[in-house]
Amino acid sequence: MAGKKSTIIGKAQKKIDGIELVTGRARFTADLRFPQMVYGYARRAGIPAGKIKRIDKEHALGIPGVLDVITASDLPGPNLIGILPPFDQPLLAEEEVRYAGESIALVVAETRDIAKRASLSIVAEIEPLEPVLTVDEALKPEARKIHPHGNITFSRKLIKGDVEKGFERADIVVENTYETSFQEHAYLETEAVCVVPHGDGRITVYASCQSPFHIRGHIAVNLNVPASRVKVIQAYTGGSFGGKDDVATEMGCLAAIAAIRLNRAVMIVHDREESIIGSNLRHASRIHYKTGATKEGKIIAREVKILLDGGAYASESPFVTMKTLIHAAGPYNIENVFVESTAVYTNKTYCGAFRGFGVPQVTFASESQMDELASELEMDPLELRLKNALKAGDATATGQVFRKSVGLVKTIQVIDGKRKHVQSKKLQDEERWLYGTGFSCLLQGISNGAEGIDVVGASVQVSQDGSVLVGVGLSDMGQGSRTVFAQVAAEVLGVSMERVTVKQVDTESVHDSGPTIASRSTTVGGMAVLKAAQEVKNSLVKMAALMFNTREEKVVLKDGFASLYEDDSARIPLDKVATAAYWNGFPLMNLAFSKAPDANYDHQTHQGDIYIAYNFGTHMMRIRIDRYTGKVEVLKHIAAHDLGKAINPQGVEGQVEGASLMGFGLAHLEEVLYDRGIIQNPNFADYAVPGIKERLPTETVIIEDYNPTGPFGAKGIGEPPVAGAAAAFANAVADATGIRFLRLPITREVILEALRGKQ
Amino acid sequence: MNYFFPSTVEEALGLASGASNPKYIAGGTDLSLQIRDGVFSPDTLIDLTCIGELKGITETGRGISIGAATTLSEVADSEVLPSTLIRGARLVGSPQIRSLGTIGGNICNASPCGDTLTPIIALGAILRTVSPSGLREIPAEDFFLGPKKTILKEREILKEVIIEKQFLRGSSFFKKIGRRELQSISQVNLALWLVMDKPEGVVSRIRVAVGSCAPVPLRAVKTEAFLEGKKLSDDAIDRGVAVLLSEISPVTDVRASLSYRKLVAGTFFREAMKEARDDSEA
Amino acid sequence: MIVDFNLNEKDYMVDVPPDMRALDLIRDVLRLTGVKEGCGRGECGACTILVNGKPFNSCLLYAVKLNGKKVLTIEGLAQADGSLHPLQEAFLNEGAVQCGYCTPGMILSAKALLDENPSPEEEEIEEALSGNICRCTGYKKIVTAVKAGAKVMREKV
Repeated sequence: MAGKKSTIIGKAQKKIDGIELVTGRARFTADLRFPQMVYGYARRAGIPAGKIKRIDKEHALGIPGVLDVITASDLPGPNLIGILPPFDQPLLAEEEVRYAGESIALVVAETRDIAKRASLSIVAEIEPLEPVLTVDEALKPEARKIHPHGNITFSRKLIKGDVEKGFERADIVVENTYETSFQEHAYLETEAVCVVPHGDGRITVYASCQSPFHIRGHIAVNLNVPASRVKVIQAYTGGSFGGKDDVATEMGCLAAIAAIRLNRAVMIVHDREESIIGSNLRHASRIHYKTGATKEGKIIAREVKILLDGGAYASESPFVTMKTLIHAAGPYNIENVFVESTAVYTNKTYCGAFRGFGVPQVTFASESQMDELASELEMDPLELRLKNALKAGDATATGQVFRKSVGLVKTIQVIDGKRKHVQSKKLQDEERWLYGTGFSCLLQGISNGAEGIDVVGASVQVSQDGSVLVGVGLSDMGQGSRTVFAQVAAEVLGVSMERVTVKQVDTESVHDSGPTIASRSTTVGGMAVLKAAQEVKNSLVKMAALMFNTREEKVVLKDGFASLYEDDSARIPLDKVATAAYWNGFPLMNLAFSKAPDANYDHQTHQGDIYIAYNFGTHMMRIRIDRYTGKVEVLKHIAAHDLGKAINPQGVEGQVEGASLMGFGLAHLEEVLYDRGIIQNPNFADYAVPGIKERLPTETVIIEDYNPTGPFGAKGIGEPPVAGAAAAFANAVADATGIRFLRLPITREVILEALRGKQ
Repeated sequence: MNYFFPSTVEEALGLASGASNPKYIAGGTDLSLQIRDGVFSPDTLIDLTCIGELKGITETGRGISIGAATTLSEVADSEVLPSTLIRGARLVGSPQIRSLGTIGGNICNASPCGDTLTPIIALGAILRTVSPSGLREIPAEDFFLGPKKTILKEREILKEVIIEKQFLRGSSFFKKIGRRELQSISQVNLALWLVMDKPEGVVSRIRVAVGSCAPVPLRAVKTEAFLEGKKLSDDAIDRGVAVLLSEISPVTDVRASLSYRKLVAGTFFREAMKEARDDSEA
Repeated sequence: MIVDFNLNEKDYMVDVPPDMRALDLIRDVLRLTGVKEGCGRGECGACTILVNGKPFNSCLLYAVKLNGKKVLTIEGLAQADGSLHPLQEAFLNEGAVQCGYCTPGMILSAKALLDENPSPEEEEIEEALSGNICRCTGYKKIVTAVKAGAKVMREKV
């Protein structure tokens, strides 16, 4: 069906919602206005740990324009927003403050400025507690417990084979400890929600978010109302990258409670500082790797111990922990693997989902170690990777065997083919510039996998005029999934892209499909659209067959017509077919589900089937470093990914380029800095995300190793390049300087200081 | 709050004396944020950007006068100013900041990392101010007292930046590093102005200023004294670097470490001196 | 205070508080929401508007300073008949838009450049867009789009 002749699948498609965006007509949450709308602004703790003695609202309530001040004792529900066990996060801190950015009260006022000013006039008496600021402090037996259940959020092991025996057989063992720092999502649109009460107990929530059904569920619980009375509409969302999940829930609940109390529409928009201090970050990590190999370069044992600094609340730490566990061995066929991963509480901003979800951290460490091993073996780094690369039929670290769509080797080979050309280029001014090339290989699980059930519901509806309406319960935060869903429906129903509309996600009109995470939209969501579209297609084909007076197998839907396989000239416009189908009572709408097979694994060892597919990739980065300032220039970056099938190649490039630059930011520029539990750089001046001058000259190489579990063979690509680019950068710096950097980010400053140390 | 757009300096001074807590504002790229953040709560803002005599770059008998309300993008696009100042202005913030921000504002904001501050110090600029008690001329190097602190008295206006003729000859350089390449705050910046005595290859005059390495942009007088009259051998430059590093006292903060600042300041000075030498040999 | 100015070819006279930002005047009073607030501190460029053809951060600009000025926002860029400006077309065609939040500011900065310099070098494009942060695209397609838009604009003249 998606044969070579398709003009839709595999062809660059413009974003279906692009016109609204380039004209400024798209309404993001903060652009909305409702009659009598008022504004909420949270008061934050300001200290990382303490006991709340008293919160005095009186002064704030006396400020003209202030309508309400809400504290924990005013909440109608359980004061809980944690999205995963152990469900430990309050909406507003009640007795104890656990991080400085934590909300302790919400002020509602006629304007945002008044609310903000009034929030500072709340008198909060918080008795400071000695903050627990590092993972090491938190793990000491005598450490103060941040939560009643202790300072360990979650810990699991992965055991494959016998790693001790593996090391005994190894000729060479390399070992090192790596660290990564906190990263901020820094989407350009800060978090925003607006809640409109309808006066009859129903409310509508507009939110910049990635999981509208999470928000609905939490609001229902915290308002103590049936979920059916809460409608959540995902407004245009200005980026999310994992970040607008927990926090959107927190803001949604607060705004909803305020809206009910005042019976007025309530808007909460974060300013940039709140966005950095008050919503989740990427986990900082410390990762110990030990790798044993034969002298021929066959890796036979790998032992990894991972500590994740998860901040004050669990958020998605349990799942990030599992993801690091499953990915730590890298995309290699290794007989004996032992991984232990532990997330730990500290009195800092909580950490959770962030594009890559733990994989960038372990990939940086793992791929650094691969280069160290190659150097010990005096082996070419790509040759070592090729020698150990997972192939179809091999067992992953969890023992899962994929018979198809394991395209890693092809990605290595294509990079190998290109590197000679890149590296043979003449070097300029070698006195000043240090040149180096770095490689990395990676895998990234697609679908929720071990994190839980993975079901997406999609509806496809064909109107009598032959136009198509698609509804999927997954959010497009900019990545282009609506366009992909439209392509899938257009392909199946034989209509042009212009004839397809994809609904804005609205909990009343699409099926709960869980959160938009884990690079699952195209794969699992696309599959649901495919199924629903096929059902509707069956009706149309049946109708057309009657109209042609022929058998259904002879009918094809193409270019907006039903026609006959053998005779293209005989054709009926699709609107005629759809209208006839309607009058004959053939269903023109279908709600279909795509359900990934349940992960089936042993919880003690994490052996078993986890994901429906993996994306595989190899990156190469060529850089040069100014030895006098530490300045880095990226001369070449090639990212080769096996993504099964590129449904929208332009969208794929966009994901690869954007995710790679985010990985580069993690590796070279970005770090959330703390001093005694207070974030020191909560702004774009001192938290430097890459600017246009830092853009990578990324060349995207698409490898299509057909994935039977995705639509037209596709696998997700949203997350994987983050890890690839970060790891390749670290290896390139090591190659250029001869110094192995064990901590990200490797800034200009870090490089220069190390170069001086080496002299 | 009151907001006025006087059209003359006298009018501005009059407005200021009539207000209990006035602030002068030019572009407002820093001040508007300080007001939002509650650092200042003026009752009156007196906008200087409609005062003709505070705007533009003019050549005078004394040298070049830059009106304090001249935007940074006008300074950056100038064809008559010494290159250290043009380069510095070009690297302040972003195009959006430079089309709003002014050189006077950049100076009066007195950030230790301000990118036009080291150039004006290296160029020996004279800052002319006016207040109800009259005119003052202040050498740029004396203007800054600490982070965000200047010698300006209340209600005193910075009128113009004068670069005297003697500093329009010679060559000048500006170097800067931040965490990223463009739109970044200086971790270190350095401005150098010098005149070489051509036949001998000897430094006849030199002025150096380093930014982000002290509470104020710092003129490196010992370095200047050391190099003045010296022939620019590699060795002399290296020894000059050592003097420079001994006279700056950077700190470690959220933006950079002390040692990184020193390393880069040394690099910048060495590079600038070598470029100056190459220029004079060319 | 009265601000008398031209916005997207239409004249306006608005009474504003002296400490109101141009951003708030345009978004909240005049309800043109194509101009976005990303950081409120002049560090991201999402709020870029053109004033007399030059890019400004409307979050740092007092509304009263617009008096007598000519302002362009993204809403004023397309033709009256709805046909897109070449830069808008190019951003769309080249895949230079993902979440779209930075897009209005990015396009306006590009326009300011191309109006002055129809054939910019790559370095000039970087310089002109250096005040606009994009977190989604990696910027590569944005540079491509500016070049493509410039080409169309040159051919139209």
